[in-house]
Amino acid sequence: MKNSLILFPILFPQIAALIMGIIKFKNNKRRNIYIGTVIVLNLVFIIALLSTNQSMDFHLIKINNLLDIYFRIDKLGILFVLLASILWIFTAFYSFVYMPHEGKEKRFFLYFMLTLGVTVGIAFSGNLFTLYIFYEYLTLATFPLVIHSGSKEALRVGRKYLIYSFGGATLALLGIILIFTLTNSVTFMEFGILQGLTLDNKDLLLIIYMIMFIGFGVKAALVPLHSWLPAAMVAPTPVSSLLHAVAVVKSGIFALIRVSYFIFGSEVLYEIRGNYYISILVVLTILMGSLLALHQDNLKKRLAYSTVSQLGYILLGIVLLNEESLTGGLLHLVNHAVIKITLFFCVGAIYFMTEKKYINEIKGIGKEMPITMGCFAISAISLVGIPPTNGFVSKWYLALGGLEENKILFAVILLVSAMLTAGYLLPIVITAFFPGEEKKIIKKEPPLSMLIPIVTLTAIVVTLGLFPNIVLHLIEDIVKGIV
Amino acid sequence: MDVAKNFPLVIILILFIGAFIMPLLKNKIYNKAFSLMTIGISSVLSLITLVYVNRYGTFLYRVGHWDSPWGIELSIGILEAIMSLLLTSVAFVISWYSVYTIEKEIKDNKVCFYYTLINILVGALLGIVYTNDLFNAFVFIEVSAIAACGIIVVKDKKENIKATLKYLILSSVGSGLVLMGIAFIYSITGNLNMTFINKELSQTFMAYENSILISLGLFTIGLGIKSAMYPLHVWLPDAHSNAPSTSSAMLSALVLKAYVIFYIKILYRMFGEEIISQFPILLFMVLILGSLGMIMGSILAILQKDIKRVIAYSSVAQMGYIFFGIGLGNTIGLVSTFFHILNHAIIKSALFLTVGSMIEKTGQKKLFALKGIGKEMPITLGLFTVSALSMVGIPILPGFISKFNFAIGSIKGGKSIFVVVILISSLLNALYYFPIVINGYFGEENLEGKVFKSKEKTIKELMPILVLIIAALILGASSNKIIEMISNGVEVF
Repeated sequence: MKNSLILFPILFPQIAALIMGIIKFKNNKRRNIYIGTVIVLNLVFIIALLSTNQSMDFHLIKINNLLDIYFRIDKLGILFVLLASILWIFTAFYSFVYMPHEGKEKRFFLYFMLTLGVTVGIAFSGNLFTLYIFYEYLTLATFPLVIHSGSKEALRVGRKYLIYSFGGATLALLGIILIFTLTNSVTFMEFGILQGLTLDNKDLLLIIYMIMFIGFGVKAALVPLHSWLPAAMVAPTPVSSLLHAVAVVKSGIFALIRVSYFIFGSEVLYEIRGNYYISILVVLTILMGSLLALHQDNLKKRLAYSTVSQLGYILLGIVLLNEESLTGGLLHLVNHAVIKITLFFCVGAIYFMTEKKYINEIKGIGKEMPITMGCFAISAISLVGIPPTNGFVSKWYLALGGLEENKILFAVILLVSAMLTAGYLLPIVITAFFPGEEKKIIKKEPPLSMLIPIVTLTAIVVTLGLFPNIVLHLIEDIVKGIV
Repeated sequence: MDVAKNFPLVIILILFIGAFIMPLLKNKIYNKAFSLMTIGISSVLSLITLVYVNRYGTFLYRVGHWDSPWGIELSIGILEAIMSLLLTSVAFVISWYSVYTIEKEIKDNKVCFYYTLINILVGALLGIVYTNDLFNAFVFIEVSAIAACGIIVVKDKKENIKATLKYLILSSVGSGLVLMGIAFIYSITGNLNMTFINKELSQTFMAYENSILISLGLFTIGLGIKSAMYPLHVWLPDAHSNAPSTSSAMLSALVLKAYVIFYIKILYRMFGEEIISQFPILLFMVLILGSLGMIMGSILAILQKDIKRVIAYSSVAQMGYIFFGIGLGNTIGLVSTFFHILNHAIIKSALFLTVGSMIEKTGQKKLFALKGIGKEMPITLGLFTVSALSMVGIPILPGFISKFNFAIGSIKGGKSIFVVVILISSLLNALYYFPIVINGYFGEENLEGKVFKSKEKTIKELMPILVLIIAALILGASSNKIIEMISNGVEVF
């Protein structure tokens, strides 16, 4: 029964969220202490769990080989769960300051904690079916966060979000059922479960792979199914940052890694040339995202399109199917998460202090909020990938992976896209710091409790750039086991 | 234990005799208590029958000790026992709910009449399920049709009378077609007992190929009208949306299902697999009409503005699933059909009862007027949400299990393309159930001016719905055992 402890980090935040829904707190401070304690405790528990035993598995309900709720911890899951839990803590502390001006905090934090549990569930899923359940559940749990403001616009966007997500999940389910009828199993295995299968029906496998890639790709904002993501920017900033950095889009990516390397396996994918067709969509995602980001005037929308493009990098790392590229992809998954969450926090801080959300409104804001914008500038440069930042490291590996496939094209695309990234992020920094006109400077730095998460995250960004080996070793370890 | 063999007949007799005693009891409360008691006893007896059948296997029961070609015979296998347990227990829960609410929907002097009709209806449906005799089944079909019309018209409004007439006419057409089908069979075989007909037909069917095809068609269309197979469903939305909520629940959850059971009996017990496989076109048509129903029922539901009509059209879609399973023509399809019958009966009655509570408390039945209901009646809408999630097919809820089995059935049957139909249909389900939930719980404008829990029903009155939801959850969680049981039943069917 020791293995059932694996359920704890999944259920604990959810139960804590429900308890929070029932009890009434005397004041907001007590509630915040409660939430902070729950989220930190969850991380502590996860670390304790991982340090005792590296491989655990647990069947919760098993009806047959497919309808089987099965949890398993593996290295990829560990990477994802640690990333999510750590960023969740930052977001929680940021939200304590940010959310009061959006209102309805109790509801926000309820679903916020619920989503943490669901994300951990995704990370620990041991088969496709469990992954699918939590994937659907994630949509349901994040929906109230997306429509937080309750305005007509928010409800409309919420509907779009639901339709896209459920549509994608349904396609994925179709793929799952088809896989199940072929192999009678959907359990994740290193190097895939299709190995022994005679490959006389390559076309069928190719169709299944495409269906599943597009299905899970909806959450990973694969062009042309990305449009829910920029629309979802009506949500409050902490929600956007979480959606982008870890919870939703990265769950899509995570599911795709599971499908590609734990169900199909890289050899089978080579055989059926699944990566070839998908890489067209991926290249489109990288370029379209950057190009669309160029002419967004709304700061959050610009960042949203930037996410689309950056996710394209990670997808590229997945579909190139070699060790370097996957290392690059996973590294970029981590780096992008940390960078993007910082960028969103900065934008949120600007909105929080000045109610400004368009680029032409923030002229000279760098002098009013030097620390915030300084952090923004550092993160922006990291995302562009100028050495020695962390963005550079991940793109380096991606380019290496592309060259290993003898496809210079991919390296070129990476460079073009890096230029475009510079093209849409640096103007923000320049407008902020060099307004071109002299204004009276009033210091408007956000409160300390909001600055601390931002500065700490920036410090992490810098650290990851200077000492990439900390994460790189873990990732190389993962990659060796699955490619 | 052999006394259990008498229980099916005893159940029918208790219900019918109860129905005739009830008008003699003047007091409403006695009426309600008496109806609940008779249905309750019959569900207990059904449970015992199920246990008995599960242990000792199928048995035939001669009514009045007349031997079979002459006398009426009841045939009770696992499937019949499961269905009778379902019918009686769901009817019990619905009646339990109606005890608190029925006066709000119908006039006081009709209450006694209503419970009489309920007893007759449940009795007749059980008769259809149990009987092994074609003509006896026809009689029960007619009785159930009249009783079903009765519980719609009992509300005494103008649109009820209109809806009832529509239902009565179409339903009579259906019964007429069934009767003609029976006539064909009788003239070929000279028998009315299904087992005997099967014996005769298996020897002579080559000589009567056309007549058999015609009678198959007549049964399909006739019973198709009665159980709302698309596009013969036109009576259903009016009837189900205008009836009192408890009647709608009864009609949608139980009445439609009994005819399906009868249809399956006709196909596999009377004609037998051998003859059915001679006419692949028949099952293919059923499959296509089922798929059309799954898609079109949902699309029509999306277009509705009245919440009860949404649920009614959703029934059309769900009946589509049931016919889809029959049309697959393999064991797993049939098993999924039975499982879906269980699942739909429970969930749909829960949906109709929750919606009934909302309409009762707010006086509104339009979708736009029910926005923000989640603040006023959070528990009721919560129960609605769980049922809706099951309908959409969120895993582990029973709706998912049956859809999953349908999908496996169609792949095993070499009809993989129909998996897409199932998936599209579940997406469409989401499109009409989720807006109700979302507009109920969320949205600034929707919640404005609503007072938290101001219109919630008492826990006592919500108890029946809660019981249904719990039953659905148990059905989902223990689905492997239930499916195994159904598969055993289908093998000996």
